[in-house]
Amino acid sequence: MMDRYTKLQMVGIYACVAVFLTFILLPFFEMFMASLRPLEHLFRSPYQFWSDDFSFDAYKQMWVTVPLLGRYIFNSIYISFMVTGLTMIFVVPAAYAYARLQFPFKNLSLGIFLGVNMFTGAVLLIPLYRVLRTMGLLNTYWAMIVPGVAFLIPTGIWLLRSYLEKIPRELEEAAFVDGASRLYTLRRVVLPLATPGLIVVGVAVFIGAYAQQFLFAITFNQTRELQPLPAGLYEFIGYQSVTWNEMMAAALVGVLPVMVIFLFLQKYLVAGLTAGAVKE
Amino acid sequence: MATLDLNAISKSFGSAKVLHDISLAIKDKEFVVFVGPSGCGKSTLLRIIAGLEEASSGQIVIGGDDVSDAHPVDRGISMVFQSYALYPHLSVYENIAFPLRVQKMDAAEMDSRVQKAAAILQLTDKLQLKPGQLSGGQRQRVAIGRSIVRNPKVFLFDEPLSNLDAALRGDMRVELSQLHRDLDATMVYVTHDQVEAMTMADRIVVLNGGRVEQFGSPMELYHHPATKFVASFIGQPNMNLIPATVIGADATGVSVELDGGHRMALPVAAGTVKAGDKVEVGIRPEHVEVSSKGLEISVNVLERLGGVSITYGVIGDGTRFCASLPGDAVIEEGRNLTLSVAPENCHVFDANGDVLRRQAAPEMVA
Ligand SMILES: Nc1ncnc2c1ncn2[C@@H]1O[C@H](COP(=O)(O)OP(=O)(O)OP(=O)(O)O)[C@@H](O)[C@H]1O
Ligand SMILES: [Mg+2]
Repeated sequence: MMDRYTKLQMVGIYACVAVFLTFILLPFFEMFMASLRPLEHLFRSPYQFWSDDFSFDAYKQMWVTVPLLGRYIFNSIYISFMVTGLTMIFVVPAAYAYARLQFPFKNLSLGIFLGVNMFTGAVLLIPLYRVLRTMGLLNTYWAMIVPGVAFLIPTGIWLLRSYLEKIPRELEEAAFVDGASRLYTLRRVVLPLATPGLIVVGVAVFIGAYAQQFLFAITFNQTRELQPLPAGLYEFIGYQSVTWNEMMAAALVGVLPVMVIFLFLQKYLVAGLTAGAVKE
Repeated sequence: MATLDLNAISKSFGSAKVLHDISLAIKDKEFVVFVGPSGCGKSTLLRIIAGLEEASSGQIVIGGDDVSDAHPVDRGISMVFQSYALYPHLSVYENIAFPLRVQKMDAAEMDSRVQKAAAILQLTDKLQLKPGQLSGGQRQRVAIGRSIVRNPKVFLFDEPLSNLDAALRGDMRVELSQLHRDLDATMVYVTHDQVEAMTMADRIVVLNGGRVEQFGSPMELYHHPATKFVASFIGQPNMNLIPATVIGADATGVSVELDGGHRMALPVAAGTVKAGDKVEVGIRPEHVEVSSKGLEISVNVLERLGGVSITYGVIGDGTRFCASLPGDAVIEEGRNLTLSVAPENCHVFDANGDVLRRQAAPEMVA
C-alpha cells in the first residue's frame, strides 16, 4: 500500500503540482491570450486579463505580415530533424563503445565531452564562424546543422551510455557464444531493447536542436529562405511597431508540431526515464 | 568424441590470481559438476572453457583439438547462463532459433530443429509467447532449448537452477539428468549446491580458492574425501571435525585422544604422523548411534524431521557436534547423550588438512 495517501496529503500534492504547472504554463497561456487580442489592446492600462475582444485575426494576418513564415517553420523542423538524425548516427555507436568496450583514455575522453558541454555555443561563435567559413558552409543549412550536431553529441552519448549500461551484459555474452558478431548483436539484441532509451535521447536531442538553432541561425546564416522560425520571428519587429500578437501566434503555431510529436511519444518517454529502475 | 581437457589453466584479474594451475581430463559424455563456495572461481573457469574469458596461461583441448584461442562457436560449446539471458523482445521460438539465425540456416531445417528442441523441453505450445510470460522453470527450459539446437559437443551450465524455488529445482534436476541421457553429450555444470552436485554428477570437481581440491565420483568424495575441505563440503549435515592428538601410530592404524578425553583406535594409513601430532577426526552425523558408552554430547537443539532427528550439541571441550539419529530416538534438548561411532567410519586429517586414507572403507572405482 505504498500509494495510499490521506486526503490532506493528496490536497498538498495537487497544490504543489498546481504551483509548478502555473509557473511553467502561465507564459504559454499569456502568449495565447496575447495572440488573440488586437495589437492596440495589448498595452492598455490597467491590464486586463480577460476581455471580450478575442479573435483569431492574428493567426490569419501573420502569414501576410511575414510571407515566408511557413518556410521558417519548415526550416526549423527540417534543421532539427537533420540534427537529430545525424547526432543519433554518431551517438549510437559511440555510446555503445563507452558502455561496453575498454579502450585507452575512455574516462578521460568522456570527461572532455562533458567539459565541452559546459561551454555554450556562444563562447565558441567566433572560432566556429571561421571554421564554417573555411569549409564554405556559411549561409547554408549546414551552417546551422553541423554546429548543432557537434554540440549535442556529448549530451547524447552521456544519456544513451547510461541507458545501454543497464542492458544485462549476459544477453550479449549469450549472443556472442552463439556466434553473433558485435554488429549483429547490436542490431538484433541491444538496439531493440534500448528503443525507449533511443526515443528519450532522440527527443532530448530534438529539443536541444530546436532551442539552439536561433544562435547559429543569426550568426552563420544571412539567407532569408533558410532561416528557422526563431530567427524569422524577428520580421514581426517592424520599423514603427512590433506586431506582438502575430508574433505570439506564429511562435505558438511553430511549436505545435513539436508538441504533437511529444504527445505521441509521451508513453515511451515516461517508460524510458524510469526503465531499469527496478529489476523485473 | 567430445573429451574436454584443461591443461594448467591459470587466470589472474590484475594482480589477483583467481585460478591456479587447473588441470582436468573430462571424458566423452560425462556429466561433470564444478562445486565450491562462492568466489572460488567456478564461473571464471566455466567462462574460460566457453571462450568468454581468456586464460592467463594454459590450454583448452576439446575433442582432441586445441581450442584455446578459438571462438565459442568453433569450440563446439554452448552455454546456459544463471540469469537465463533470454532476449525479452523475441518470442520463445525466436529465442531458440537465435543461434541458427546467426548461422543463416535455411528456414525448413531451422524450423525442424526448433520444433524438435521444443518437443524435448515441452515448450511446443509456448513458442509464440515472450519470455516475460513464462514461469521460471519454463524460461530455464527456453535457455536450454537455445543451447541444444546448435548440437554442440559440450554443454556448459552456470548455476542454471539457482533462481528457482526448491520444489522446481528438484524437478529440473531430474529433467537435466534425463536430458543428459537423451542427448548423450558432455556436460559441465557449475553449482554451489552440493545436493545438485551429488545427485547429477558422474564426477565432481571440488574447487576451493581457485584450486582443485578433489576430482572424483560422488561416492568417492563421500567415502574418501582427500582433504578436510572436501569432507566438510560434501555430505548433509556437514561432517563433524573434532581436534585430537595422536597417541600412537603403526601399520594397523592411528590411536587418538579427542580433545575432551575420549580415546579411539582408527584404521587409517598412518603415513608420516607420529605420537604427539595434532590431527582432526572427522565423523559424519549419519555414522553415529545412541549407545551406552562413547562420546558424551550435551544436546542444545533437536530437529525432528520425521524419518531422522538431527541433534545439535557440544562435546566435552565445547566442540560442536551434530548427529543424525533415527526419527524415534529418545532424545531431549538440554540433556546429555552418549553416542558411539564405528572406528572404520572415522576420517583423520593431518595438520595440513590432508586425509590419512581409510583402510576399511569401500574401495571406489572411478
Ligand atoms: N571481471 C573480473 N574482474 C576482477 N575480478 C573478478 C572478475 N570476475 C571474477 N573475479 C574474481 O574472481 C573470483 C572468482 O569469481 P567467480 O565468479 O568465478 O566465482 P564463483 O565461484 O562463480 O562464485 P559464485 O558461486 O558466487 O558465482 C572472485 O574472487 C571474483 O571477485
Ligand atoms: Mg558464479
